[in-house]
Amino acid sequence: MKYLRLLLTLCIIVLMAGVVVAQDDSMMMGDFEACEAPANLPDTVTIGAIFGLSGDISVYGGVQQQGVDLAVQQINDAGYLGEGVTLAVQYEDAVSADDAIAAMTRLVEESGVPAVLGPTLSTHAFAADPIAQENGVPVMGVSNTASGITDMGDFVFRNSLPESSVIPGTIAQSAEILGYTTVGVLYGDDDDFTLSGYEVFIDALDANGIEILGEETFARGDLDFNAQLSNLLAQEPEALIVSALAAEGVQIILQARALGYVGPIIGGNGLNSPAIIENAGEAAEGVIVGAAWNSVSDNPLSVQFVADFEAAYDASPDQFATQAYTGAWLMATAIRCADSVDPAAIRDELAAIQDFPTPLGDFSFAEDRNPVHDPVVQVVEMGTFGVLGADMDDMEEPEMDATEESDG
Amino acid sequence: MGALYEAFLDLTATVGITEPVLHGMLIAAILAISIYLTLYTGMFTLANAGFMAIGAYVSVLLTQQLGWGLFPAILAAMIVAGLIAIPIGLPVLRLSDIYLAIATIGFAEIVRILLLNFDNIIKSIIEGILASDNEALINRVMTFDANSELLEIRQLTNSVRVRFELIEGARGIKNIPVLTESWMLALFIIILILFLIRLHRSRFGRAMAAIRQDETVASNMGINVVYVKNVVFVMSAMIAAAAGGFEGHLNRIIEPGAFGFDRNVDILAYAVLGGTQSIIGPIVGGLVLEALPEVLREVKQYRGLFTGIVLLGAIVYLPNGLVDPAGVKGLFGTLFSRGKSKREGEVDAA
Amino acid sequence: MELFLQQNINAISLGAIYALFALGYAMVFSILGVLNLAHSAIFMWGAFVGLLALDPEKAPLLINFILVGTPLTVIGMVVEYKFIQPGMNYTRSLHLAIQRLIALIIRVIWITILALIGQQIFIQLMPYFPETLTILPVVALIFASVAGGILSIALEFLAFRPLRERKADRLAQLISSIGAALILVNIAQFAFQAVYGRTEAFYPRDVTIFGIGTDPITLGALTITPIRLMILAIAIILMIVLQFMVQRTQVGQQMRAVAFNEKIASLLGIDVSRIYILTFFLAGAFAGIAGILYGMTFLVTTPFIGENIALIGLTAIVLGGLGSIQGALVGGFLVALIQTYSVAFGGSSYRDAIVFVLLFIMLLIRPQGLFGQPEQKRA
Repeated sequence: MKYLRLLLTLCIIVLMAGVVVAQDDSMMMGDFEACEAPANLPDTVTIGAIFGLSGDISVYGGVQQQGVDLAVQQINDAGYLGEGVTLAVQYEDAVSADDAIAAMTRLVEESGVPAVLGPTLSTHAFAADPIAQENGVPVMGVSNTASGITDMGDFVFRNSLPESSVIPGTIAQSAEILGYTTVGVLYGDDDDFTLSGYEVFIDALDANGIEILGEETFARGDLDFNAQLSNLLAQEPEALIVSALAAEGVQIILQARALGYVGPIIGGNGLNSPAIIENAGEAAEGVIVGAAWNSVSDNPLSVQFVADFEAAYDASPDQFATQAYTGAWLMATAIRCADSVDPAAIRDELAAIQDFPTPLGDFSFAEDRNPVHDPVVQVVEMGTFGVLGADMDDMEEPEMDATEESDG
Repeated sequence: MGALYEAFLDLTATVGITEPVLHGMLIAAILAISIYLTLYTGMFTLANAGFMAIGAYVSVLLTQQLGWGLFPAILAAMIVAGLIAIPIGLPVLRLSDIYLAIATIGFAEIVRILLLNFDNIIKSIIEGILASDNEALINRVMTFDANSELLEIRQLTNSVRVRFELIEGARGIKNIPVLTESWMLALFIIILILFLIRLHRSRFGRAMAAIRQDETVASNMGINVVYVKNVVFVMSAMIAAAAGGFEGHLNRIIEPGAFGFDRNVDILAYAVLGGTQSIIGPIVGGLVLEALPEVLREVKQYRGLFTGIVLLGAIVYLPNGLVDPAGVKGLFGTLFSRGKSKREGEVDAA
Repeated sequence: MELFLQQNINAISLGAIYALFALGYAMVFSILGVLNLAHSAIFMWGAFVGLLALDPEKAPLLINFILVGTPLTVIGMVVEYKFIQPGMNYTRSLHLAIQRLIALIIRVIWITILALIGQQIFIQLMPYFPETLTILPVVALIFASVAGGILSIALEFLAFRPLRERKADRLAQLISSIGAALILVNIAQFAFQAVYGRTEAFYPRDVTIFGIGTDPITLGALTITPIRLMILAIAIILMIVLQFMVQRTQVGQQMRAVAFNEKIASLLGIDVSRIYILTFFLAGAFAGIAGILYGMTFLVTTPFIGENIALIGLTAIVLGGLGSIQGALVGGFLVALIQTYSVAFGGSSYRDAIVFVLLFIMLLIRPQGLFGQPEQKRA
């Protein structure tokens, strides 16, 4: 009996040593441990992806495609789907809801793909995802942030943290650390992303008892915000809340600073892009961005991803690219674990993903197929993003609430 | 019947025309008819996208909020659009040509912006009521708040937060059930074609053509130009609204952005590409322009480029659009009688 | 009070850019009777060319492109006029549509060959260029305006001239310009993707024209960005030059004659075709400059910046008067002021709607705009 226990202990030690040694290998994407190498996949597995590749949303769709391409290349190089199995993507372009529906129909009914990534816009998702649901094909949004996306059915997933998971923590943390009590709000009212962001901001501000001195809007494509900013700043808010995307964000920051405003500027996912720092320069100091991805995290997967992306495309990735990249890996993992191209099996495996390491952090899907991972509140300091309050010990944990209110 | 339809779809699917694409094409045909009417009368109006938006939202609100059926809802939407077209048309249709186009573009944009902000307007009104001293109104509002999902009133420390969500602006109205089917669209188009044929042959139709030729002469001949133009404008608005109503129940979501300037341009392109010499022209134009990007899906990124080239090429090389009865006759004539093909006065501009 | 002044300053510098853009629109409309909806695409290309010129790492691409493109274009034009057009005479016996089809096919083949040759030369030459090349902002302005002018002329030959020659109505020309705009924007998307990897690019922040840059200066409670003043100055100078040209020079006189009545002008011996080309060139050059100035002000450049400004330009020329060049100028400033005031008075969501409502009212009360002539042939 004694010897048996000794033997067992020795085995465990050897095993652990083996595991440790195995982990010493460069941190690579993909969980090769969770499921066995698949043996039943055809030579080529083609999934679908619907992104806005033309038109003014091509700014997002284009980098999403880049993120997915990078992932697919790495997946194939690593033989993630098994020996001799290649993952391929059939990209479809969607510039409107009709387009998205036609694209989804083509992918799911004509090409018969077992899984779909996208579409880029939430409005397109509401139009097209039901078709995937009806046909029993899993679809994962990699940039859908509106509420109610996964309510469309159990085949609808998303890996993009909705604004309601990111913004409350952003406001709570920044208000506590910076101590502002009055704000001015500037948001885009004709765009899905920015409008949803605005609404969550308002709720969060109300919940934290912060007074909103004024609200101003702009339209997509606007680049002159002097009028709106002059209005807001005349009331001397202690902070500026901005729900905008990167291109407008740059101008808003520059113009606000040019008008003499030196306080904090707080934004959502839309501002989480290297373009903000590159193009707003010094003006971006002190800008706070609540985001799903910490671009300067020392998570080795994130670091590796940023390096790989820059090597491949000569440009830094933004949140859209990162979430698309992660989405492709998640989908590949589901296919690997399902060991089949049966959409239902892939769906089940997707739902089962727990604590999967990604550049976004350890990723899981919640019961309602929304993403669960830690969001981050970033601040621009000395020309780069940093985590807000990183050097303060008693930091409030950001809310990891992945469930959303069901409104509209 | 159903099996026939399925077989038809299978056939078209080989070139990339799946059912959603077919729906898009049929709706485009309806829109093309709506602008054909005004172009036939010599009016260059670009308001159709605005009326389409009105049609979509009115019909969707009726089916979703009040539980109406699809056909009554679309009918009601058409009537609403027609009623709105009257006060718009009267002052605006006096203008000519480019001015009319710009005024109607402005109208469509105003509709779009109003839709984006409708909820905010109601919200401001409610905030005004709550801030006033009118007890009765305040009670009304609070009761509505308790009984409806549309309104939400929250007490904050220093103020009240009002949230009203009916049209939902840029987020769009979601989860609209798919009620429209191909046969409805096809039937509607056939009814419209029959109606238009009757119209062409009637006195009213000849008045329309006369106005197109020369307004002053027409008026001197005793035609009530103002009346004819306005009636045509109203008809066009109603048809556009019907298209909007059908489309609203097709894509599961409607949002104001789908009815902006680009939509207007598309609608105009249907008519001009197809040619306005006959009723079939705009219908063909609409079908082709909607089908083209889908058929070209293989060449994904080049879709937009090809559409532009087709548009430019068709306009420059096909004087009267794709459907040109005179041109087709001429072509057949030449093919079947070689030798006497010199067409009079034709200068080769190539 | 300071807020009011600040808002005014904001409006005026914005208005200068709108005015420059509207000028080109108005020029083409008043002299040629054509509403060129591709004007906004030319504006965007001006911004793109300006961006390439100002970005030291991309400027070599631009210069290479010009070096290769110019001789090829000349060759192309020579072939067109010396071989293709005369060659069409041999097809006279065929039906007109078939003639046109053959002409189209030959041109497409020929242009493709030229493009492929050009591409090869471009690639071969690229290594011989320095890594970075800094071009003076003033020179970049010139590049942008010339690019705009050339594109505009190309538009005239491809999209408008053939329609004019068969006496197509204005509607057809409008659609033609829309098709051309679509093509230009799509080509820009490919170009952006090729050069930047995404359909968005930013101007360098530290551009200075004659030493005047982007750092804001404060006068009391007001803040002004010097470069915006510089832009205002450039815009005003250009408008004065244009005005001078139209009113005082012979060419300007000819342009006004064509504006009045084409037939009479040609009877008077004016080369109408040349005037068309000149007008399109000038309009395009203005759009190109407006584009690069816009880029320097707002930094972000995408293939779609023309879309917003298209409607603004249209509104500007209608408000100012659809026949008048001074009208476009005033219209541009007017739209900027209306926009700014709407926002200033709390209507930021309705800003565009307010502009359109005023447009409406103007059209109903005084369709010829502030400076236009009461209805005549052009209306």
